[in-house]
Amino acid sequence: MLIRAVLHRIATGLVTLVVVSVLIFLGTSVLPGDVASIILGQMATPESLAALRSTLGLDQPAYLRYFMWLGDLLSGDLGISKAGSGAGTGGTPISEMIAPRLANTVHLAGAVALIAVPLSLGLGLAAAARAGTRLDRSITLTTLGLVSVPEFLVATALVLVVAVYLGWLPATAYVSGTETGTALLKALALPTLTLVVVASSQIIRMTRASVLNVMSSPYIEMAVLKGLPRRRIVLRHALPNAVGPIVNVIALNLAYLVSGVVIVETIFAYPGLAKLMVDAVQTRDLPLVQACAMIFCSAYIVLVFIADLASILSNPRLRYPR
Amino acid sequence: MHGDETTGKDLRALQQKFKDGGISRRDFLAALGALGVSAATAQSHLARAAALAASPRRGGTAIFASNLHGPDDQLDPIVFTSGIDYTRGRACYNNLTQILDHLTLHPELAEEWSANRDATEFTFKIRKGVEFHDGAPLTADDVVWSMNRHLGPDSPSVIKAYFASVIEWRKLDRYTVRARLSAPDRDLPVKLGEKQAKIVKRGTTDFRKGIGTGPYVLESFEPGVRSLHRRNPNYWREGPNFDALVLTAITDPTARVNALIAGDVHLIASVNSRSVRLIKNTEGVHVNSTPSGRYGGICCLKNTPPGANDHFVRGMQYIQDRERIVRSILKGHGQVGNDHPISPAYGADHCTELPQRPYDPDQAKWHLQQAGISSAELFVAPVAAGIVETCLLMQANLKKIGFDLAIRQVPTDGYWGAVWMKEPMNVVSWNMRPTANAMLAIQFAPGAAWNDTYWNNPRFGELLRMQLAETDPARRYGMLCEMQRLVHEGSGMVIPYHLNILDGVSDRIHGIPVVPLGATGAHEWVEFAWMSE
Amino acid sequence: MSPPVDSPSDISHSQDGSRERPIRRLRFSTAGKTGIAVILFWSAMVLVGPWIAPYHEAEFLDEALFIVPGLDDPYPATDFQPPGAVAWLGTDYLGRDTLSRLLYGARTTIGISLIATLLAYLIGITLGIAAAAGGRVLDSSLSRLNDAVLSMPTIMLGLVVISAYGSSLPVLIALTSVIYASSVFRIARAFGLDIMVSDFVDAARVRGEGLGWIIRHEVLPGMILPMASDFGLRFVYIILFLSGLSFLGLGVQPPQSDWGGMVRENLAGLPYGAIAPLVPALAIATLTVAINLVVDDISAHHGGKLAGEII
Repeated sequence: MLIRAVLHRIATGLVTLVVVSVLIFLGTSVLPGDVASIILGQMATPESLAALRSTLGLDQPAYLRYFMWLGDLLSGDLGISKAGSGAGTGGTPISEMIAPRLANTVHLAGAVALIAVPLSLGLGLAAAARAGTRLDRSITLTTLGLVSVPEFLVATALVLVVAVYLGWLPATAYVSGTETGTALLKALALPTLTLVVVASSQIIRMTRASVLNVMSSPYIEMAVLKGLPRRRIVLRHALPNAVGPIVNVIALNLAYLVSGVVIVETIFAYPGLAKLMVDAVQTRDLPLVQACAMIFCSAYIVLVFIADLASILSNPRLRYPR
Repeated sequence: MHGDETTGKDLRALQQKFKDGGISRRDFLAALGALGVSAATAQSHLARAAALAASPRRGGTAIFASNLHGPDDQLDPIVFTSGIDYTRGRACYNNLTQILDHLTLHPELAEEWSANRDATEFTFKIRKGVEFHDGAPLTADDVVWSMNRHLGPDSPSVIKAYFASVIEWRKLDRYTVRARLSAPDRDLPVKLGEKQAKIVKRGTTDFRKGIGTGPYVLESFEPGVRSLHRRNPNYWREGPNFDALVLTAITDPTARVNALIAGDVHLIASVNSRSVRLIKNTEGVHVNSTPSGRYGGICCLKNTPPGANDHFVRGMQYIQDRERIVRSILKGHGQVGNDHPISPAYGADHCTELPQRPYDPDQAKWHLQQAGISSAELFVAPVAAGIVETCLLMQANLKKIGFDLAIRQVPTDGYWGAVWMKEPMNVVSWNMRPTANAMLAIQFAPGAAWNDTYWNNPRFGELLRMQLAETDPARRYGMLCEMQRLVHEGSGMVIPYHLNILDGVSDRIHGIPVVPLGATGAHEWVEFAWMSE
Repeated sequence: MSPPVDSPSDISHSQDGSRERPIRRLRFSTAGKTGIAVILFWSAMVLVGPWIAPYHEAEFLDEALFIVPGLDDPYPATDFQPPGAVAWLGTDYLGRDTLSRLLYGARTTIGISLIATLLAYLIGITLGIAAAAGGRVLDSSLSRLNDAVLSMPTIMLGLVVISAYGSSLPVLIALTSVIYASSVFRIARAFGLDIMVSDFVDAARVRGEGLGWIIRHEVLPGMILPMASDFGLRFVYIILFLSGLSFLGLGVQPPQSDWGGMVRENLAGLPYGAIAPLVPALAIATLTVAINLVVDDISAHHGGKLAGEII
């Protein structure tokens, strides 16, 4: 039964990916202008545009390009970006452009997750274990307050205080690209801190709410009546049954750390994948936009799948697909 | 003012500027006087500054952050359009000619050149013994191949309009080339100093390697991330000074300034005028503010309402509170514009006789009533420093005289293709060009590809051609002046201000040339600047 | 910007049928009452803000207003001025009155978010119920489409759509409502499925009631309260999403002010100690905290059952 449930979810994920690929292709084709008009910018004239377009091979029908793209994608070829080649004939394989940026993104997301997940689980459990106390209320209010501050304000304020006034850390991450060891850790510190603030608030809230939710069920009430210590009840009895929603919110936050951190990447000049996609949209480098979007959506689908798996394992009732 | 602290800081900035050649000895002493420094002390400061202007030091890695970059960064010079491309181009390649301090023209890969009597034939002697980064020698073939890429209707060159009158480039011998023109152009050698007119290796198809004759050899290049460059050990002349360059961009303006202050980078382009005070009050960094011809303006298309109505355009011009724009939007780092592109930064080419158009809401109101128009829609994108703010101020001031200006803000990407030259009212930014004629021609010549107000004045076109053929300086000036007056009075351009170029510089960086054509000494810092301990 | 959070796994905890619980009177804690007061305050500002604002949101304050007697500077700076008699909350980066912009901005910010949230619910619930009640094929095609939309990073979706269609109020509202409808859809479908298989729906079927009757009388009432507590958070995410868009230069059209955009446009004042970027941030925070305090009370009323499902 378990295997069937897992297979069912895998199939669902694959279908979703195909739908995603069509949506991405349609979505990118509504963008006005193309890479040629962006390269030439203000300097574009009809003649120079037409000349550059045919050089870049942008004159084929859309459906043809979709199937060619999908075929390449399935064979692991992400395509060629016109990056760096100007009016020349060269191009950069997109996988080559993406690989280092994906690595950067994974480093940052990993660093954030390593700190944010244990921290927010701990705080969330603490708040749940002492629901209604001053500790709970201050954790709740702080997380609410932080969740409502725009990310760019958090980042800018941190940079101003820590980098500009105190001079403890660099204001940007990884600008020269030559940092290693301690210098690299220092460079990553501020963006990591910013994202920890952003990601933790939600995990804390979800942990608290899920645990409290389970705490109100009859068998926990029974445990309370039996006089077990509240701490033990929370950790041994409530937490395992609250795993589903908590794992889910962690997965969603991880997906966000992979794809949604464009603001942090911009403010810290950190060459991650999200900024690459924004740049690609702005320069109408459509193969690159499509590749990035596919990676983001796949990351989401995979992470949610893993979270689902965890929920299924922790909750036998979900093992039967509906 | 914070008393001594600020004065001391200003003084250091001034000394720096003097020793970098940014200001003359007389200006230096005058500025010291303005800071309240006595004449005797001033002389001693001058001596100290002169001593500091010692020979450049070799070594160090300079990190430069431009304002924009992305996957479209590239190393093909004929389609260079952004500051980061220009800077990389300056590191990788050379031109035939070079425009340096205060727009003076110098030989670069061309040792010397000569023109025939009517300036329709130019002969260039190519420097011998120059090597490309891969060891191949530079010859006339490379020059001819590079320059011919700008010619013809199919050329994707962004400056092909400059060379519209060039029929062909031809090799005379291994080190001599000749350009044949269909019409006189005395400015041709100057145009060859432009950022896109780089000499590349003949037959190059993949430009990502950046192989040129320039002062730095490209080591790695990641579009939208950074490039690394090492000193070219076989460079054909003295220098360059840095061991290596890291060229990147930080797109967020606040983050860029923070990176400079925190010491992550040594040089930043395009400082927001609001951040100047912050940099000035910080030890170890300063701002170079260079008056230039760069401007942000509002185009009213002359071939369609409402811009077709002269009264409407005049109303839009009179409603510009130019003094306040320069004072409070540009924080003094700009100059009042007079609805034509030739700012005082063009030196002798700037027409001094033209009266300044004032801020006059009554006149504006009268003209708009004459036009019978009471509302309009303006498309705005942040294409130039201060332009969005200028449009908002204009909107508020128009509201006071009963005119309703709707502002449609659109993103910068796609702007040039979808909005500029298409919507009846839009905003534009123009960089300074090396000569007044080149600037006027590119934007206002009848039928020009980028005549962005569709203003067609036959007399103006005639003057453009005559001025390029004219040799008498007084008459050349007279013609330029008449052209500026024609634009000022007839075109659909509203030019409220000219921008200063604002670079943020670490105090360790010295010797940046003062060239108002672009950021950081029109990118010439790459070869000439140096780093102190 | 924060990621939209909802529970992507099928919701199963409410299979005991929460609607059978006897209706208790909803009681608010002190915190909840404070929350209601703040929400009422901002609602009032949405209604009367532009009338009580001292200046127009687009007005550049006159330099003459800032002349300090004794200092003979005829053109004093007007931007990033500290609070004073001329501008109670100081001025912004262009020398406009922060208080006035805040008051005008309340209407834009809360207005857009409210309309977008309502639309998101309308779309999400309609499609969610359609999926729950409409059979297997409709359900799985709607679900896959919805998963695909959910999997796309919201800010990227915003970037592409606004690059294509420009930034106007209708586009912003449509974009946000579609993005957030996908989260609502998941919840609505899950509740719908739960209710559709419950005993009282079976009973109604046996009585011969049509699908429409069942949806109106059984399904909709069953999901209203849980959805209401989700509403508040969705609303806050939309405010933050709009501020994220304004960071990329894609937000509300100038000179209209929205709170997130006000934070963004005044960031340069932060190093000078200007309060212009902090005031709108504080406004967003008060509204967020207030809404969530009320939401907490509502979900506590449901014995904490809902919180775990719908944070």
